[in-house]
Amino acid sequence: MKRDILVAVSLLVAFLFIAYAVTVKNVLGLGGAELRPLGEFYLSNAFAHEGLTSHSPEVVTAIVWNYRGFDTLFETFVFFLAIMGALSVLRLTDEQEKLVRELEATMPHRQMDLIVRATTKLVVIMIIAISASIALHGHLTPGGGFQGGSAMAVAALLLFAAFSKFTLERKGLTLKHTISAYAVGLALILATVLAPVFLYNGKVLEINLLPGEMGLFNLDVGEYLAVAFGFLTVFLVLGIPEWVFKVVLRGELND
Amino acid sequence: MISFLLAYITITLFAMLFLGIYGVATRSNLIKKIIMLNIANDAINMLFILIGYRMVFPVFPPVYEKHITFREFLEKSVDPLPQALVLTAVVIGMAMNILLTTYAIQFYRLHGTVDARDIAEVMRGDDE
Repeated sequence: MKRDILVAVSLLVAFLFIAYAVTVKNVLGLGGAELRPLGEFYLSNAFAHEGLTSHSPEVVTAIVWNYRGFDTLFETFVFFLAIMGALSVLRLTDEQEKLVRELEATMPHRQMDLIVRATTKLVVIMIIAISASIALHGHLTPGGGFQGGSAMAVAALLLFAAFSKFTLERKGLTLKHTISAYAVGLALILATVLAPVFLYNGKVLEINLLPGEMGLFNLDVGEYLAVAFGFLTVFLVLGIPEWVFKVVLRGELND
Repeated sequence: MISFLLAYITITLFAMLFLGIYGVATRSNLIKKIIMLNIANDAINMLFILIGYRMVFPVFPPVYEKHITFREFLEKSVDPLPQALVLTAVVIGMAMNILLTTYAIQFYRLHGTVDARDIAEVMRGDDE
């Protein structure tokens, strides 16, 4: 308890100091009407810089594509590593998976009301349409693969809540299928990234990534697939009921 | 008035940041720690976006459009670079979130607790 107060007081002193520096002395340079030189460079050169560019009217996307392509690529790698880390922690052996399936078959089949299910069906269709629009227009308007994929994952979560995990699995959305779709998305991203190596004789460091709208569109679709199905994979593993997991992991029989 | 509002928002964001650090340092529940880490993360992202903002009217998003001339665009558009940086930070934050939450859940399933003090005890018990 005494240590908590010590932490609170020291953080409060730091906060007061920073608040004074930011508001009175304005060290961050907030509230100026003029543009910073770097921002002006990007705003004026993002659309038509010399050499090969993405020709994207959206300046943020153009920065990410023209100047920070490897940043975007390794961001996908970080996401991949996180999903693989989660899966390797939550993974089960074959016998354990068989046991999980047997235990799940004994459970009563639960899902929500007819009203909730009917509404969810409508809403999910709309969410999927919007997420596809966000992802496929990512090179023209704000948004992109990751944002669209996250919206798609929300639709999947809604289905989880209103229907059950078993309904989805009976419709063919098993772990194997989602991992395969995730792999397809990653393969599309990798193909987009490796294309310049073959098209321009290995000058990958000079021109960053595939230029033009086609490359951006491919990366958008790949990222959309990868993010949506990566999330869905984790949700499917986490969707196994708590007591089933406890029985399997601890070897205890429930009472 | 507008400068007061800007100072108010900035101070609020810094307060959120320090509140998040305080929560991570003092709470012993892992889930609460993760929530506070997220609050600090989002406060930093918002600060980045705020740094890119410009005090002009009307202010445009950094998207080229047909009915705006280029000079007008340069005068009225916000700084796009902080937005591009935050775009990466959001994805990294999401990945971090997935990993931390998974570890917390798995620890709860194996040992029945997410309290940091109990975790220390469980670990000590495993060694003996």
